[in-house]
Amino acid sequence: MRRGWVVGVLALMVVMLAAVGPADAAGKLIRLTFYYPVGVAGPLAKVIGDMTDAFNKDNPGIEVVPVYSGDYDPTLQKVQTSVMAGNPPDIFIVEISELPTLLAMNAVIPLDDYVKKAEGGKYWDDFFPAFRENSMVKGKIWWIPFQRSTPVFYWNKELFKKAGLDPERPPQTWGELRETAKKLTVREGNEVKQWGVTISGGWNDWEFEGFVRQNGSWLINPEGTKVNFDSKEAVEALEFWVDLMYKEKVGPPHSTWGFTPPDFVAQRTAMLYHSTGILTFLRTSAKFDFGVAFMPKNKTFGAEVGGGNLAISRKIPKERQDAAWKFIEWMTSSENAAQWSIASGYIATRKSAYEIPAMKEFVAKDPRYLVARDQLRYAVGKMMAPNFQKIREILKKQLDDAVDGKVSPKEAMVTVQKQVEAVIKR
Amino acid sequence: MTIGERVRILNHRWRLDHLATHLTLGLFALVTVTPYLWLLSTSLKLRTEVFTPTPKWIPWPINFGNYAEVFDRAPFGTFLVNTIIVVCGILAVQLLTVTLAAYVFARRKFRGADILFLLFLIQMMIPIHATFLPNFLTLKSLDLLNTRVAMMLPFFASGYGTFLLRQAFKQIPRDLEDAAVIDGCGGLHFLWHVLIPLAKPTLVAFGLISLVSHWNDYLWPLIVTDTPDVRTLTIGLGMFVQQESGADWTLLMAATAFVTAPLMGIFLVFQRKFIESFMFTGLKG
Repeated sequence: MRRGWVVGVLALMVVMLAAVGPADAAGKLIRLTFYYPVGVAGPLAKVIGDMTDAFNKDNPGIEVVPVYSGDYDPTLQKVQTSVMAGNPPDIFIVEISELPTLLAMNAVIPLDDYVKKAEGGKYWDDFFPAFRENSMVKGKIWWIPFQRSTPVFYWNKELFKKAGLDPERPPQTWGELRETAKKLTVREGNEVKQWGVTISGGWNDWEFEGFVRQNGSWLINPEGTKVNFDSKEAVEALEFWVDLMYKEKVGPPHSTWGFTPPDFVAQRTAMLYHSTGILTFLRTSAKFDFGVAFMPKNKTFGAEVGGGNLAISRKIPKERQDAAWKFIEWMTSSENAAQWSIASGYIATRKSAYEIPAMKEFVAKDPRYLVARDQLRYAVGKMMAPNFQKIREILKKQLDDAVDGKVSPKEAMVTVQKQVEAVIKR
Repeated sequence: MTIGERVRILNHRWRLDHLATHLTLGLFALVTVTPYLWLLSTSLKLRTEVFTPTPKWIPWPINFGNYAEVFDRAPFGTFLVNTIIVVCGILAVQLLTVTLAAYVFARRKFRGADILFLLFLIQMMIPIHATFLPNFLTLKSLDLLNTRVAMMLPFFASGYGTFLLRQAFKQIPRDLEDAAVIDGCGGLHFLWHVLIPLAKPTLVAFGLISLVSHWNDYLWPLIVTDTPDVRTLTIGLGMFVQQESGADWTLLMAATAFVTAPLMGIFLVFQRKFIESFMFTGLKG
């Protein structure tokens, strides 16, 4: 027994020496902290861990330590607290609309010099234009697209058949959507057994932006200085929502982001507007055949992008920033963008990622994963402004009140316009 | 009527009364337990069995794989140990600080007592988020970031606990103290031998509230810790709730079952004690 104890201690000492060894041998080890949120279902913390391990192995002298930091909101809080306390993470991912907030805090550096030199100058142009938009403010590139999504349209083919509709033909326009939704709504007395279409709540502000795009307008300019909530087009978009949810009652006026995918799986709604990020969840949970399509158009097809980008902190030494860039460039290489997309269900951020053999094989098996990418042709950047959280709340409140019939669409959008203007001027 | 018959009738009536009480209680219990049963049922289902047009109570086929997958995704064993250390650590120090502070506020007169107590009350009104940055700075200067102590330190003193216990101490009659002092039991002896035993229900109630609320702490541990070796259960649980795609329900329920099980266990073991301690209030004899 006693010998075992001695051997144990010796073994422990050897392990400790070994742990110290390589770092000494490599000279200076730069250890980088990387805060990341997990936005979609799946073992993504593990995937990130595997990716950073692979990077660390290929890059002696740099060790990236991934730190799981919750959803987007807690991640932003963690980043803000650490930056204000002078203890910033070297690399982090937050939700794309937060760029103005980060700039106001002077938290990130522009990446133009790095981007220009990367991959012989061809790096940046390979990203889908819609994904690049939320990086560009004041003529500079502030962060790199990483976990990116866009809303798409899902429809239940079995319920289409049951209602006598062509299961292979989803509605193409707002008008068709309204008619299809009427046919797909099933009522027993006053109770709705099956909704025609669900426009998911929770992030309805995000989806509303897409409807305004489909109607040929915008809400906040890319610089975050002008707001356009009370335009004729925006009011019309909200009127369409009110038609669906209040007048025709073919869609639930209130729902939560997390519960509408399960509702679709349980066949309580026949059509669904939701992020492309749920495709893997639907594929593994639904027992029926369903399709993915572009969101129906009005004047044009239209969508807005979402998700999170990779940024480098300002208040860290230059050599750390250089090492952080090396990591970001590696994480967003065509191969890794493809691998990340396959593991997570996010859209691969770069065109060339779809030429990678593994990716080709993946989308050949289920071409539904290509719909979101193809819809990017009609997509634009997500609205951004300082204090974006506040703006979201203002918009969501008025959207909710309008589909409840408490205020007219016109009144709602005028109120949003006034309140958001006040927030932006402050 | 013989005595035997009479007893039988009484017995019968008594049983009926009992039955009604039990039925009512059982109904309430069922309402309370239903969400937990649903949680357990979901945690044993396959993904495709969760959202069916009509709810299914019995998971079939039974899938224990969810629990294995939960443990595969994050080190929940380590998280459990850390949570127990943090929660018990907070409670142990709180009981000391809260009792002493409450004793002084309730039984000692000194200058500025009222203003000081007011400050304690104001502390209860400050939203916890407003304290994050200053607390973070303090911990950084103490070089305590990313430790279990960092999750405990800001909660060592509790305005709420002090308030609760001060009120309990105040209700204990002055006569008792006079009698104790005459018998030579003053100051801290009086606190230990008289006040604390009499305020036991309040202490138990406060202990419970403290345990549960810190067991559920999420944002603060997330902000002050970085590595899995010091993190707590709620952070592991958070990994199964996703903002963009909604939750991974089977895994989330399996993780929730694991995270809540210790609290359920504690309650089942100590429930008699809890209820007893609530019954022996007031001054006896």
